[in-house]
Amino acid sequence: MTTVLPAPVSADAPAEERRSRITSLERSDRIYRSVLRASGVAVLTVMGLVGLFLAIRGGEALHKGGFAFLTTQAWDPDAGNFGIAGVLVGTILIALVAIFFALPLSVGTALYISEYAPRKLQRTLISIVDLMAAVPSVVYGLWGLFFLQGHVQGLARWISTYFGWIPFLQVDGVDRDNALVDVTVYGSSAFIAGMVVALMVTPIACSVMREAFMQAPAGEREGAFALGATKWGMIRSVVLPFGKGGIIGGMMLALGRALGETIAVYLIISIVFTIQPDVLHAGAGQISSLIALRFGEASQFGLSALMAAGLALFLMTLVINFAASSVVARSRSGAESD
Amino acid sequence: MTRARPLALYVLAALTLGLVLAGAPQSANAGTPVPISGAGSSWSANAIDQWRRNVNQFGLRVNFVSTGSSDGRNSFKNNTVDYAVSEIPYGLNDNGVADPPPSRGFAYMPIVAGGTSFMYNLKAAGKRITNLRMSGDLLTKIFTGVISRWDDAAVKAENPGLALPARPIVPVVRSDGSGTSAQFTLWMSKQHPDLWNAYCQKMGRAVPCGQTSNYPAKAPFLSLAGSLGVSGYVSQDKNEGTITYVEESYALNTGFPVVKLLNKAGYYVPPDGRNVAVALLGATINADLTQNLVGVYDNPDKRAYPLSSYSYMIVPTKIEGPINANKGYTLGKFAKYFLCEGQNSALELGYSPLPKNLVQAGLDVVKRIPGIDLADADITKSCDNKTFSVPGGIAKTAPFPPECDKRGGPTQCTTGTGGAAKTPTPPKTGGSTGGTTGGTGGATPGGAAAGGPAPTPLPGTAPNPAGGIPTPGIVPGIVPGTTTAVDPDTGLPLPAANTANTGDVAAVPTAIGGGTGSGFSTVLVFLAGMLFCGLVIGPPLAARRLAAQRDEAP
Repeated sequence: MTTVLPAPVSADAPAEERRSRITSLERSDRIYRSVLRASGVAVLTVMGLVGLFLAIRGGEALHKGGFAFLTTQAWDPDAGNFGIAGVLVGTILIALVAIFFALPLSVGTALYISEYAPRKLQRTLISIVDLMAAVPSVVYGLWGLFFLQGHVQGLARWISTYFGWIPFLQVDGVDRDNALVDVTVYGSSAFIAGMVVALMVTPIACSVMREAFMQAPAGEREGAFALGATKWGMIRSVVLPFGKGGIIGGMMLALGRALGETIAVYLIISIVFTIQPDVLHAGAGQISSLIALRFGEASQFGLSALMAAGLALFLMTLVINFAASSVVARSRSGAESD
Repeated sequence: MTRARPLALYVLAALTLGLVLAGAPQSANAGTPVPISGAGSSWSANAIDQWRRNVNQFGLRVNFVSTGSSDGRNSFKNNTVDYAVSEIPYGLNDNGVADPPPSRGFAYMPIVAGGTSFMYNLKAAGKRITNLRMSGDLLTKIFTGVISRWDDAAVKAENPGLALPARPIVPVVRSDGSGTSAQFTLWMSKQHPDLWNAYCQKMGRAVPCGQTSNYPAKAPFLSLAGSLGVSGYVSQDKNEGTITYVEESYALNTGFPVVKLLNKAGYYVPPDGRNVAVALLGATINADLTQNLVGVYDNPDKRAYPLSSYSYMIVPTKIEGPINANKGYTLGKFAKYFLCEGQNSALELGYSPLPKNLVQAGLDVVKRIPGIDLADADITKSCDNKTFSVPGGIAKTAPFPPECDKRGGPTQCTTGTGGAAKTPTPPKTGGSTGGTTGGTGGATPGGAAAGGPAPTPLPGTAPNPAGGIPTPGIVPGIVPGTTTAVDPDTGLPLPAANTANTGDVAAVPTAIGGGTGSGFSTVLVFLAGMLFCGLVIGPPLAARRLAAQRDEAP
């Protein structure tokens, strides 16, 4: 066989063969590829159009507000006095509080599910975490408003009493010598809203991290054990370094969602338009809540201003999500899962 | 076992399908009435919710979302709703911006009257205070941040009989565009312009400020969305020291007291329906039926509650946009119902019925809605409004305030107000409007504080306007085709809406035919609930099962 073949092959034949190997695909492959390409382009187009729409609709307000749109701490678009300084800071604060609670919670849950839980329990836990993601956000909001808030006000007071020297944990205007405690100062705050949002973003972050942890190579795990590592030692030296990309990526995804979470925050916070750095103090700002609150009753120009605020949120979330995906893609676990 | 489960699922699915198919022809039989939808005022939402539940038995499907007056007016303007409800008309100047009227044909129709009340959560020595009194000046100072403590000398001066706690006052205002805010700020701007303008200026608004739907506020004020939001916040037991402004019905539903407000004659008067009716005798009604309330604020009658006003429905007068003849027909029927029979339950709900001349004027507006049944605009035809038979109108029956509520007396009346007026016998949660004339000189009734002993603080989520209605002799749940709701305040079963109006004033006949309709909707609600649960729980369970099968396969 091998001796027969070389004979008919002429000088130009190999080039032809190589060319055909590159260009000619099966028809089904070509269709498949074009469908994939179309859906990828569609996603990008929709994203771009959303941004374009927001930019066009918000253009009027952006043009009128100018740079002051980013620095003004008020929301009175019809009177010409409007800006997102306060709500932008509030949005970030709520998201940071959410991440503060969600990070240990989701890393711990993911580690337990992937490393410690017995096989049967593992599946149940995965289901429960997925279930958490399926609960509508308004349910979280009502729960936060009517249940959590009443129970957390005490904690917030304790923190502000003993850690009030940390700038953003202080609460002004409280008479600590008064035996009659006024808990309303500690409610409707970025702290409580952030806690509720933390519960909402934990399932997403947890899923991403769990996937990453589970892919830690068995050979390296065995190696760690063979070298005498304890289970925790193995996790520290193999699973966590391997899943670092997953942890960062999951947190960034969670942050992206926390920035845009609307209805739960809308229900809880008492909205303020000034910069309110004290997270425990009543009153917080958030862009998406502002939009939800003022959308129905906005005038033409007010709507444009809300669109401009939406554009700011859109861009911020976009940047964070891009950062997240690049971090995940660069990591070892991410490269394998991709 | 694994085989039995799919079988059960099939049975359930078949049953569901069967029920839906069996139910479908019933709704088709309803005829010309079509579902209509509206949005707007949360001030009058409790009355509208009760009415639209009542007309359900006649096959009228009326939807309403209480998103605030500003949103209601805007939605009507944008043709997204069939009708709107608003406390204030179009065209008013709010913070330098005029709110232009819509281009579609519309008219204002008064629907109900009521008092903007000041609901508060305040305890002294562990007992709830239920008989707080305030003058307009003091109230304005509180809501403009001039007075910020409950033990301020000015508050003490108005309440000689009270030991007031050394707490900060936390005013809770509306964060959405609200007709209640507009009515309250209008009153402040007319009665106490200096205080109001100074506050507005402090908040960075142009002066003179006038009325505004968006209450300007910053800490320590709290701003929350909707009447439900603010009243729900104040009614949480822990939030002591808070005070907010809502229609009295919200105080009745949550079982909380309201401020007795000083009137021109020097008496402190609660915002009960009869006092509202007296005060509104001073209102001037314009040609388009909108109100001028200056005469109400200064009504010299001893019984008048100064912050009284009418609420309006904005109805379409032309077939255009979302309106067609069938929708006009349905809206006409609904309007006829609430202008006639619906007014009977106003007092119990915490509102005040319209006087006869305004009912007549309202029915004249009904005439302008396209597509109506002409009988629906006729006050002589089946208009079962019991308040007409009260000689001189409901205002005549208003009790005079007791002398202990006169300004400058050595002490003050001890009876509770609003939702904390009566003893907490569960079926009478919220009490009625009658308990304000006491003044026995004893201690504040201890039980009155717990008008709504709410162990789970949920009153804001599921307000039940029926909560304030006494229902003598009705055993909950025995009427066929009605659901047994649970009162969020008391945890006790409540009678369904269409059996609730058995008090002496209200009389809503319970049509047997309505039973099947509400039975069908109960089934639909149940199915929707099941579907929702299935959607939430289903996917993870299915995924788990699939995974299990995959693992077992090899």
